[in-house]
Amino acid sequence: MAAGEVLLDVQGVGLTLGGNAILRDCSFQVVDRVRQGVVTGQIVALLGPSGVGKTRLLRIIAGLDPPDVGRVTGYKGAPLLEGEVGVVFQHYPLLRHRRVLGNLETAGRMNGMGAAEARSRAAHLLERFGLTARAQLYPAQLSGGQRQRAAIAQQLMKPKSFLLLDEPFSGLDPSALGDVIKLLVEVANMDELNTLVIVTHDIEAAVVCSDAVMLLGREPNALGKGVGPAKIQRSVDLVAEGLAYQDDVEQLPRFAELVRDLKDGFRRL
Amino acid sequence: MVPTEVGFLARIKTAFLPNRSVDRLTGLLFVGFWAALAFVAWVLRPFESLPGPAEVFGALSTLWWKHGMGPELFTTLALIGHALLLTVVISLLLSYVTVFAAARPLVEAVSKLRFLGLTGLVVPFTLFVGGGYTLKVALLTFGMTTFFVTSMAQVVVEIPREQFDHLRVLGASELRINLEVVIIGTLDRALDITRQNLAIGWALITMVEGISRAEGGLGAMILNQNKHFHLAEVYAILLVILAVGLLLDFAMAFLTRLVCPHAALERVRR
Repeated sequence: MAAGEVLLDVQGVGLTLGGNAILRDCSFQVVDRVRQGVVTGQIVALLGPSGVGKTRLLRIIAGLDPPDVGRVTGYKGAPLLEGEVGVVFQHYPLLRHRRVLGNLETAGRMNGMGAAEARSRAAHLLERFGLTARAQLYPAQLSGGQRQRAAIAQQLMKPKSFLLLDEPFSGLDPSALGDVIKLLVEVANMDELNTLVIVTHDIEAAVVCSDAVMLLGREPNALGKGVGPAKIQRSVDLVAEGLAYQDDVEQLPRFAELVRDLKDGFRRL
Repeated sequence: MVPTEVGFLARIKTAFLPNRSVDRLTGLLFVGFWAALAFVAWVLRPFESLPGPAEVFGALSTLWWKHGMGPELFTTLALIGHALLLTVVISLLLSYVTVFAAARPLVEAVSKLRFLGLTGLVVPFTLFVGGGYTLKVALLTFGMTTFFVTSMAQVVVEIPREQFDHLRVLGASELRINLEVVIIGTLDRALDITRQNLAIGWALITMVEGISRAEGGLGAMILNQNKHFHLAEVYAILLVILAVGLLLDFAMAFLTRLVCPHAALERVRR
C-alpha cells in the first residue's frame, strides 16, 4: 500500500431530521500514513461544538444510519457496511448481564469464532488492556476508565480497520486523559490499516493524539453565530504541520498556536 | 463505651433523616420495632371484631390438624403454580414480539384488558373452557397476564437504542441481538415482574377459588369459614395466606439474585 491512499472517503453527506437540515455536503478523506520502519495507523479527530451533528455523522460512517445524500466508502471505494466499523459509544455500553470476559467472548462468538478461539483472543486482549484481574467482574463493577478499555477491547474481538469513538475524553482527569490517549495511539498502531475516528470537543487532546483534525460546524452568520446545517469547515493535516507522532507535542509553540486558532474557530461555529 | 453509644444514637438519628441509608443492623432494628408495634396493637385489639392472637393461633392449630389445611394449601399452591407458569410463557412471548411493529396493537390490546376485572368474565370463560379447575387456571392466568404484559412490554419498549446499536456494530445478527438484548438482557426485570404478578395472583386466589369450591383450596376454606362467621378461623387462614405469600416473594427475590447477580450491583442504595 502506498502512502496517501484513501482509506475512508466521506463524500457530500447530508442529513435532514424532522424537517431540520443537520448536515449538508460533509466531505473529508482519511489517507494512509506511512512512516519508514514503524507500523502507523491513522487517527482523525472530528471536532465540533455540542449539538452540531458529530454523533449523527459518526452513525452514518458506522453504517447505522443512511445519509439522505452522499456516500461513505472505505479502502478502494468499497462501501462500509453495518458491523464492519467498530464504534465505542459515549457511555461505553457493554452487555450488563455478562462478565467482562463473557462480553468479549460473546463478541467473538457473534463473529463466527469457536468457543476456544474466542476465549483465547479475549484473554489476550484483556491482558493487553490491563483488565485480566477484572475479567470475572460485571460491567457495573468497573470504573469509567476500565469500562472504556473493556468496550474498546470488545470492539477489537473482530479484526476491523475502522474504529469510531464518541467523546472518549469526556469527564477524564489529566492523568486518565493521558492514559486514554496512549491507549488510542497503541490501538491505531496495531496495524497499518487501522483508522480511528474520534468525535470530540476536546481540542488539546485531539491535537495531541491525531494526525489530522476536522472542524465540523455551522456557517457563521453576519453576527458570527453558527446557523443552518453543519459541514466540515476546516481540516488540518497535523503531519504537514509537524505536530503528529511527537511525545511532547504540547511543548511546541506551534501546538499552542494551533489550539488557540482552533478554539477561535470553534466559537464561531 | 461512650463512642459506641454515640455511634448507635447517630445511626438511629440517621434513619429519621430523608434520603439516607442505614446499616443492616439498624434496618433490622426498625423492622423489629414496627413488628412489635403491630403485635402489641393486635394484643390490645382496638376493634371488637378482631380475635386475639391466642384465638387465631388456636384456630390455626385446629384447621391444620383437624380440617386438613395442609392439603388445601397444597391445592392452592398447585393452582397458582400452574397459572403462573402459563402466565409467564404467554406474557413473555407477547412482550418479546413487541419488537415487531405488526404485533404491537395485539399486545397493547391484551394490556388494556386489565381494566375488565374477573367477576364478569366467569360466564364467558366457563363457556370457553368449562368449569372447575380449568376455569380457575384460565381466570387466574388471564388476570395475571394482562398485568404482566403491561409491565414487561414496557420494559422491552424502553430498551435504549444504544444497546441494539452496540451489538449491531459488533456484527451480531438481528436474531442474536434480540436474544442478548431483549431476552437475556431483560431476564432480571422479567423475574422481578413475575414476582410482582405472583403477588397479584396470590391476592386473587381466594376469589378465584371461591368460584368453584369442589376442588378445595384456601379460598374455598376461607369462604366456608366466612359463611359460619368463624372469625378466628378466617384470620388464621388469612395469616397463612400472608405468610406463604411472603415466603413465595422471598423465594422469587432469591431466585433473581441467584440467576441475575448483576441486577443487584446496579441498584443504587440511598
